[in-house]
Amino acid sequence: MDHIEQNVKDYIIKEFLPGEDPTELTEATPLVTGGILDSLATLKLVSFLEEHYGIAVQAHEADVEHLDTVRDIAALVRSKI
Amino acid sequence: MMRRLYQLEGTVQCGEGRIRISAFVFIMAQLALLLVVLRQFQIESNALLRLSILAFAGFALHAFLPLRYRLPFFTLLSLSGIVLVFGFMQGAWLIGLGLILIAICHLPIPFAARVGVLIAVTTGLVAQRAGWLPAPWSAAVWPILGSMFMFRLIVYLYDLKHEKPPFSPWRVASYFFLLPNVCFPLFPVVDFKTFRRSHYDADAYATYQIGVGWMARGVLHLIMYRVVYYYLTLPATDVKGVGELAQYIIANFLLYLRVSGQFHFIIGLLCLFGFRLPETHHLYYLASSFTDFWRRINIYWKEFMQKVFYYPAFFRLKGWGTTQALIVSTIFVFMATWLLHAYQWFWLRGSFLLTLPDASFWAILAVLVVVNSLWEMRHGRQRRLKPSTPTAAAAAWLTMRTAATFAAIAVLWSLWTAESLAAWWGLMSEAARPFALPARLAPTVMVAVLAVGTTPAAVGKLAVRRGGFSWAGQSTTIAVVSLLVMALLGLPAVYTHLGTRAANFVLSLRTGQLNRVDQAMMERGYYEELVRIDRLNSQLWQLYMNRPAVGWIDVQASGLGQLTGDFVQEDLRPGFSAETRFGRITTNRWGMRDRDYERHPSAGTYRIAMLGASTVMGWGVGDDETFEALVESRLNESHPGRYERYEILNFAVPGYQPPQQRVALDKALQFEPNAVYFVATGREASRSIDYLAEVVRKRITIPYPFLVDVARKAGIEARTESTTAIRRLRPFRTEVLAWVYGEIVARCRERGILPVLVFLPQLRGGEWEVETPEILRTAQAAGFVVLDISDVYRGQNPNALRLAEWDEHPNAAGHRLIADRLLRAMRARAGELFADAGTRTTTR
Repeated sequence: MDHIEQNVKDYIIKEFLPGEDPTELTEATPLVTGGILDSLATLKLVSFLEEHYGIAVQAHEADVEHLDTVRDIAALVRSKI
Repeated sequence: MMRRLYQLEGTVQCGEGRIRISAFVFIMAQLALLLVVLRQFQIESNALLRLSILAFAGFALHAFLPLRYRLPFFTLLSLSGIVLVFGFMQGAWLIGLGLILIAICHLPIPFAARVGVLIAVTTGLVAQRAGWLPAPWSAAVWPILGSMFMFRLIVYLYDLKHEKPPFSPWRVASYFFLLPNVCFPLFPVVDFKTFRRSHYDADAYATYQIGVGWMARGVLHLIMYRVVYYYLTLPATDVKGVGELAQYIIANFLLYLRVSGQFHFIIGLLCLFGFRLPETHHLYYLASSFTDFWRRINIYWKEFMQKVFYYPAFFRLKGWGTTQALIVSTIFVFMATWLLHAYQWFWLRGSFLLTLPDASFWAILAVLVVVNSLWEMRHGRQRRLKPSTPTAAAAAWLTMRTAATFAAIAVLWSLWTAESLAAWWGLMSEAARPFALPARLAPTVMVAVLAVGTTPAAVGKLAVRRGGFSWAGQSTTIAVVSLLVMALLGLPAVYTHLGTRAANFVLSLRTGQLNRVDQAMMERGYYEELVRIDRLNSQLWQLYMNRPAVGWIDVQASGLGQLTGDFVQEDLRPGFSAETRFGRITTNRWGMRDRDYERHPSAGTYRIAMLGASTVMGWGVGDDETFEALVESRLNESHPGRYERYEILNFAVPGYQPPQQRVALDKALQFEPNAVYFVATGREASRSIDYLAEVVRKRITIPYPFLVDVARKAGIEARTESTTAIRRLRPFRTEVLAWVYGEIVARCRERGILPVLVFLPQLRGGEWEVETPEILRTAQAAGFVVLDISDVYRGQNPNALRLAEWDEHPNAAGHRLIADRLLRAMRARAGELFADAGTRTTTR
């Protein structure tokens, strides 16, 4: 797992899934469609990505297409740095 | 971005959409069962049955087409559905208008200019929808055109602004003209990106089976809705005490089953064509907080608001700080939701909905969601990667939160659907009375539990072997078993063996009739004035929506009615004449819907003065087609008594209630009748107190001390909210009716005039019949000669005798039937009715 994926995963486990087994969260686990990232969690995650990587995420990018899995999120970050 | 889009298009190839014959046969067998259920239970409308046959037959072909032909096929099927339901001409208008709107989105001009053109064209359509400009297409086109484009255009433009997807005319046309939309004006706001992405993005059989499961769930919800609608709802005026208040509130909330049922069915049907769309509602009666409720109910709406309003607002404001941005964005979303509901109401009904209960509902919900969101922002909420068994304490805490959320939302829902804030407050004040367990509270709670129990979360998460056929576990079992049970229960050969009560219960669920609350509203004809939000979801509203803009006659606007400024408020204008699409309507010089008569009857004439309301006046039939005119003509042919001539003077006025007939009688007596025929059509006692409440509220002078005294005893005055006033008057209703009848009989008897009460039933049986024994008993006790012709429609098809689907007045054939039956009743008692009128005195 690349460091972006790992950072994102760590953040999600810490913020939204405390107490859950980190190995259960894979790069392909559905986050938006799986009910883990609701609107509030999405906003928190976007703030984290923007601060941590110094990028700007657009409102229309905060969707299932860009944020549904750790892999999607990492791809979004990579496309902006 | 382009690479991403091509990837999206590439996912279409996933599984190649293939399905094995065994799996296909299994799906088709379930669809056949579904058709049986749709037919036996007459779900929603005949149009839905026809559309489903078209869709299921289309599915059979579609499933075996090469993948690249499936989208064009689905689009053509959707367009065929429009033509099937609307006919060629109106269908062509709908499709043509839609194509123009889509074409504007793709004009080769800057995006802002396209939006400008779209706004200009939409403004023209608004003017037509509001009736300010003429439109060459039927009014029935509007709700469906509106439902297809009012929100999807916004989503589509949003996506066009942010992306440049390769234009696919089939994909875009199929998105806007979605097959099931033609039968459902209330339609989930399907997201264009999701629609595009979900097309055959998973195993075909799994997608089809999910669709069947959702359709089965949808139909089950629609049948449960009927149980609630027919058996568990009660009029606000019947609420007395906290027990009935609880039943009213819960049943009112459960009526939403109709929307979730429709949405499940719609999305399920789309799954049959490869669109693996997400669920529209998720166990919404089990929400454990206000934010949770917002996430679970009408998920497509929440996603739409989140995408187009919430995120853009939050991202723009996030410089203010997260908390401030969150508060403002959430309030913005709820304000937009409120306004967009008014916008939706406009396209569906042609007028804007801006009421205090509606605004209050959204404002309160906004505050609750904001507070709940802030709490969640700070404290988080529990999320799980895998389902786990909660501890007993956690389960108990969750149950308490769920019950509290259900109760709070149900109360808030009652505010939303109230006619006014005062009406809602009047209803809530019933909570102060002592608790008495109403008989229907337990069944209401049971249906609520069933509604939750029949929405297994597993349905949307079906896992099956790729392209293969397998039983696929719990969700398929539930779908198949529920379809089988519903199909069997709907068969007369089965339900007639369940005992009389159970058979009648099933029989009642098999028809889409109006319940007593809506039926009473339709009778009173004041439906148009109501602006309750649940009208978007009611069967009565659906009937009215199909009504042409120009009805039979507009009593006030046409000049037929005139205001009197007294207790009756209005009567018919003398000397009126107009040609209508149902025939000519004429009033004579005295303001009767009748031919001309002299004030004083000539010698040898037997004169009847007939009192009644719209049916007696001949609502929707020509001058010579009223049963009153027919009976008069036949009496003059047959001469049942010893008179040379028979005259029936029609004093009926549309909308007249029993207390108004007391005034009409005074007018009738001036024409020296031998007999007064009072035609009662049901709910006489309820209508009497409704009218008394109305005149008190309007501060109209009541010329009868008895009625003034009743109003005083009931404790109502002009400022008393109308539902509360009716509730308080209810104990006096028999007393008021007995007074009206007694007055009519007494006035007649003192002049030697024969008082006759004709009981004429409504076209269709229903809750109105409950009052019939009371009416007949009261009439007989008052001294009326009673002609009960309540069997007049027995064995007849009511649909063939009514004026229109939205108007249950008898048509010309209905009037002929009434005339025949009334004449038979009169002949059977000719000796009593046409006795020598030597004792008659006049009022001159």
